[in-house]
Amino acid sequence: MTLVNSEAGSPALHLGELRLRRFRAGELSGETQEEIAHHAAECGSCRAKLRLLQEEERQFERDIPFERFAGGVERACRVPRPRANRRWAVGGAFGLVAAAAVMVLLLRPSEKVGDLRVRDVGLHAGSNQTKGGISAVARIASAAGGAQRSLPPTGTTTLQPGERIRLGYNTAAPSYLAAVSVDDAGEVSALYPEDGGSLLVGPTQHVTFLPDSLELTGSGRERVFLFLAGRPLDGAAVKKSVRDAHAQAKGDLGALPTPSFEGRIDVRPFTWLFYKP
Amino acid sequence: MVGRQTPRFRVIAGEQPAAPDSRSELRELYQRYGASVFHRCAYLLRDRSQAEDAMQDVFAKALQHYAGFRAEASPLTWLMKIATHHCLNLIRSERAGWRGRYEREVRAQATKDERPQVFEMRELVGKMLALVDTETQAAAIHYHLDDMTLDEVAALLGRSVPTVRKRLQAFATLCGKEFST
Repeated sequence: MTLVNSEAGSPALHLGELRLRRFRAGELSGETQEEIAHHAAECGSCRAKLRLLQEEERQFERDIPFERFAGGVERACRVPRPRANRRWAVGGAFGLVAAAAVMVLLLRPSEKVGDLRVRDVGLHAGSNQTKGGISAVARIASAAGGAQRSLPPTGTTTLQPGERIRLGYNTAAPSYLAAVSVDDAGEVSALYPEDGGSLLVGPTQHVTFLPDSLELTGSGRERVFLFLAGRPLDGAAVKKSVRDAHAQAKGDLGALPTPSFEGRIDVRPFTWLFYKP
Repeated sequence: MVGRQTPRFRVIAGEQPAAPDSRSELRELYQRYGASVFHRCAYLLRDRSQAEDAMQDVFAKALQHYAGFRAEASPLTWLMKIATHHCLNLIRSERAGWRGRYEREVRAQATKDERPQVFEMRELVGKMLALVDTETQAAAIHYHLDDMTLDEVAALLGRSVPTVRKRLQAFATLCGKEFST
């Protein structure tokens, strides 16, 4: 057991607050639980802390009974709480800067951004959702906020009026992300980031969804690409590679080849084809 | 062509809303972790009503990632990280108002604090948080209250260990303490 001297200036080793809370929650192994109980029996300071935590728990249960707690949590699950002054809620450049900042918080600097090996996955490959700890997904929700559905990479779907899309990714190592879309006419739109190169993201333990949702406007089809790379991506190069693929397929979004990045093997593409309502 | 929609929709894990199978599991979360999460939120937000809302948001996140959450070696540590991050974001979003109000409260408490000073570092960190930037706040909370190592704090914040050490040293100086690892 490691006792933590979290009380600066104290000559003795005492248990840190989180460890005591974990002890109260019964999260530690049996041996550690016993050691802490033994320590607390002999240490007045830690005993007092445990008493205070116990009192906090009692007061919490008095102030916020379970039914009130459960009702509030269920409400928070159903309805996102409105946020005042959330910068990225206004969308645009501010939004992406804030989103990037949140994602940067997740980075582990000790882990080098390694090259991500890429398989030669054509757009018609069956399953390229999860390889080497990397995956992506498109989530689609109706305008009314009802049922949702997932579309795995290489998937095709017809959108209903008002349906919106969120893109999610999961990567075991820090990666650079860029997402663009191309329509039948070959117009390429940068989605994430809206301008500049690529967003530094991950590593993630679960699918992480990019901020905002997307609504495809106009008619016809639209193909969305999400790229995860081991090194930064240049925004102009991403657009060019998709434009070139569109030209190569003679404008047939259903037959687009995998966009090429001048021999780079660290770029992992994910793509979805949407028929607009 | 693409139009960006705000606000985004909340993604529901799985094809159905992810939730514990029964209220008994939610009750277990409440009993084991409710007080700790609520206390962390109240500690940072200094407002019990806001803290209750924030706590509900944190548990809602836990339910949305329920399988992963339950697989955590320490669900409490996970919850405390989410709670801290969530509250610091809330504070940042209304920073100007919060800072002034909080500094007034700190001054008031300096002359009249009848709460037991059992967690010396918790009290000290709490009093000094208003004087530092958000990143240093997060570093100080995770290092001093959550028993994280320098490496763990650096990884969480996406900063190098020397940068985090420097921030914690500056924070310790502000507290009139010597920083040692």
